[in-house]
Amino acid sequence: MNLWSYVIRRLLYTIPIILGVCLIIFAIFNLSGYDPAQTLLGKHATAKQIMEVRKELGLEKPLVQQYFDIVKSAFTLDFGRSWATKQNILDMIKEGAVPSLTVTIPAFLISTITAILISILVAFNRGKFIDKYLVVKFVGMMSIPSLAYILFFQWFFAYKLGWFEISGYEHGFPDFIPYTILPVIIMVVLSIGPDVRYFRTVILDDIYQDYVRTARAKGLSETVVLLKHVLKNSLIPIITYVVIQIPFLILGALLIESFFSIPGLGGITVKAVFDNDFPVIKAMTVLFAISYIVFTLITDILYTVVDPRVRLK
Amino acid sequence: MKMRKISICALLSGLMLFTSCTKKVDTSEKVLNLAVTAEVKGMDPIYANDKYSSNEIARIYEGLLEYHYLKRPYTLVPNLAESLPVVSADGLTYTFKIRKGVKFQDDAAFDGGKGRELVAEDFVYSIKRLADPKLQGLGWWLLEGKIKGLNEWREKNSEKDVVDYSEVIEGLKATDSHTLVFKLNKPFPQFLYSLAMPFTFVVSKEVVTKYGDNFLNHPVGTGPFMLKGGEFKQTSKRLTYVKNPTFRKKAFPVEASEEFKPMLSDAGKDLPLLDKVVVNIIRESQPRMLQFKKGKVDYNSVDKDNFDSMIVAGKSLSKELLDKGINLEVSPSLDVTYTAYNHDMKLFQNTNLRRALALAYDVEEMNKLFNNGTALPAQSVIPPGIAGYMKNYKSPYRSKNLRLAKELLAKAGYKDGKGLPEITYDCPSASTSRQIGELIKKQLAEIGVNIKVQQNTWPELQKKITKRQVMLYGIAWGADYPDAENFLQLLYGPNKAPGANGSGYDNPEFNTLFKKAAVMQDSPERTALYEKLNRIAAEEVPWIYGVHRQGYTLKHSWLKNYMSTDFEAGQAQYINIDLNKKKEMLNKL
Repeated sequence: MNLWSYVIRRLLYTIPIILGVCLIIFAIFNLSGYDPAQTLLGKHATAKQIMEVRKELGLEKPLVQQYFDIVKSAFTLDFGRSWATKQNILDMIKEGAVPSLTVTIPAFLISTITAILISILVAFNRGKFIDKYLVVKFVGMMSIPSLAYILFFQWFFAYKLGWFEISGYEHGFPDFIPYTILPVIIMVVLSIGPDVRYFRTVILDDIYQDYVRTARAKGLSETVVLLKHVLKNSLIPIITYVVIQIPFLILGALLIESFFSIPGLGGITVKAVFDNDFPVIKAMTVLFAISYIVFTLITDILYTVVDPRVRLK
Repeated sequence: MKMRKISICALLSGLMLFTSCTKKVDTSEKVLNLAVTAEVKGMDPIYANDKYSSNEIARIYEGLLEYHYLKRPYTLVPNLAESLPVVSADGLTYTFKIRKGVKFQDDAAFDGGKGRELVAEDFVYSIKRLADPKLQGLGWWLLEGKIKGLNEWREKNSEKDVVDYSEVIEGLKATDSHTLVFKLNKPFPQFLYSLAMPFTFVVSKEVVTKYGDNFLNHPVGTGPFMLKGGEFKQTSKRLTYVKNPTFRKKAFPVEASEEFKPMLSDAGKDLPLLDKVVVNIIRESQPRMLQFKKGKVDYNSVDKDNFDSMIVAGKSLSKELLDKGINLEVSPSLDVTYTAYNHDMKLFQNTNLRRALALAYDVEEMNKLFNNGTALPAQSVIPPGIAGYMKNYKSPYRSKNLRLAKELLAKAGYKDGKGLPEITYDCPSASTSRQIGELIKKQLAEIGVNIKVQQNTWPELQKKITKRQVMLYGIAWGADYPDAENFLQLLYGPNKAPGANGSGYDNPEFNTLFKKAAVMQDSPERTALYEKLNRIAAEEVPWIYGVHRQGYTLKHSWLKNYMSTDFEAGQAQYINIDLNKKKEMLNKL
């Protein structure tokens, strides 16, 4: 099948998925039974003003009409204004996405590349001291809660040693760099353990395959066996694992953002949930769904690149 | 070996580079560095219903009145008004003279980009915005039913597509360029407090029109500071304000209450005393405290987790902090925490039962566990610091007394708790709230009362209170203005949920007295009435009273004129920084 027709067909699948996502969030919002007007008006709410605000927010419209409005905003990407802050939601997302990505992208790239390199190293030394040492070390690192890393690193490296900014953020390159180094280091430390464990297993699966034995029997060097044969064959599960993480990068890292005062999307989403700010929750859910679909599609396409045997149907 | 040495050198050089990346504390100009715990929603005064947003708005915008910075009890003084208003004998008409020569900050919305002079009509416009049915300002409760013709104007315009601002309202008129007249429907002495709240601060029509929906991100007021760059970004974690170059001549107060007399060293100086204000939004307590200890934040409150390591014997600072020149400020808050009964339930209409539960509750233990023993156990609803509070009054149903509690429980018809259903205690989802619930559960079990603790998100708890789906619930109230009416109204029958009286307490005697007191001007008679109401609220036990909290704030030695206050709006203009002291003390941090 032609690649483009496959892409178009897969993109068309997003329509029913978005309709479904809208239906689910609309149902959850209505079934929860919270009154956003009450939340908005706070301690001085009166019955009359609650009614007026509900009307202004469009909550007095028939349910079908409300659902249609959600679907419309999902397809036009016009999410209107936040109920809690009255800010334009798309502007909020645009402003929040960059700081989130300045932390998550470097952390993602560094941890993925480092984890792959370490995995190759330990897989080829399976059973030896270095393999055992690193596996034990990473399992140990994984068993410490992420909050402990954040609290300790912030106190020790930023406060005690004064190597990094304690918290804060400045927009624009390169001003943001001093504020993102420590959060990036923590994210790398947090993700490298699980990454190495997974990649090591994937590579080990391949190392004992017949084709590796054949390659060695042909007299190929270990480097060629490793990089040309094993790594290439291990790429499909690695790509799946890596690409599917990308939509989560956009969502930001909630705890890191909170402790380091990074004005990212993680904070926006959580605040919206606490404030019962439905338009923002809706926008974040829809955008996440769309990016998830897009990156799944990219994964599929990448399969055909790394393994010519894979055919898109 | 050589490789290893090179690697170590490279690593160290890298770290040195990082070190040079961290910013040094600026000591070249007077900058106030603040840390706040929540995001600011926007810069439109009519939506300023949380203290974080209203404090930011009040750096840029101003109102007719403000609280005297150095006087306690809180006293209203003119700000944009030339003097306090002339009030008619019937208490219905308030005539204000507006200060002359006050300019809006420069902005592209004005002719030639230069801010124009403030006139009385600007207040008429700003109050109408607060009442605008399309905008649904969150401070409308302040004025609802108060100003003659304003409710009718709102009602009429709610059906129209475009709100008509040109219509003259009888109770809200600019009689000349600098005279503003309010006419009220009935006497409401608390009206003046409304005019010191950011909801009623003055905005300019030109700016609102120019920026439309984005007005909330383009604050242009008459105040002492301007937002650097002019545009507010809601997601920003740092807000920087610079001195407004066109700010009118306004001087630091020359009089003070006894406790603030040392601050008079700046008396008569032109305001603001600072060059800049930088507000850092830091949600978590660890980075806030670390920034403070590094001198990058000038003051910071002491939270529960840091309390024991910083405060010795509940009231003085640890040696480590004292050596760094750090000072401690302890200040009572105008608030009350409480556990409310749902009075719609027949069960809680039983006064003996309410009293029994209150007597089984050990507020001292709660205070020790959750407030480090710093709060003041509440005897009734009115907090100290405002008229109506009775300093030496002890409620007969306040201190833990299990013997009396059991007697009253038996009298209520539930001897040893028999026949009493399980009582649900609803609280917000914070871990401290749940722990308080568990403590109440443990304490009430001592008289045979079974409690089930139920956590809720804030919207969920609000909904349950409004829909009367609660039995017992824990909550708190902070003052909107320093008048006992603001607390007593929480027990006024007609204010039942969704109004402020969430518990639904409805006592005809209390209601009659409250109605009478609410329209009286400040006087000994009104204070006597407030005290009587406060006594009823104590003895009828409509709630189980908690505490009046106290704030513990750490401040650096270079910070001048700062005090913890319940009404922070506009405070930054009075604060000063001693730069020499700052340079000296930073080395010790």
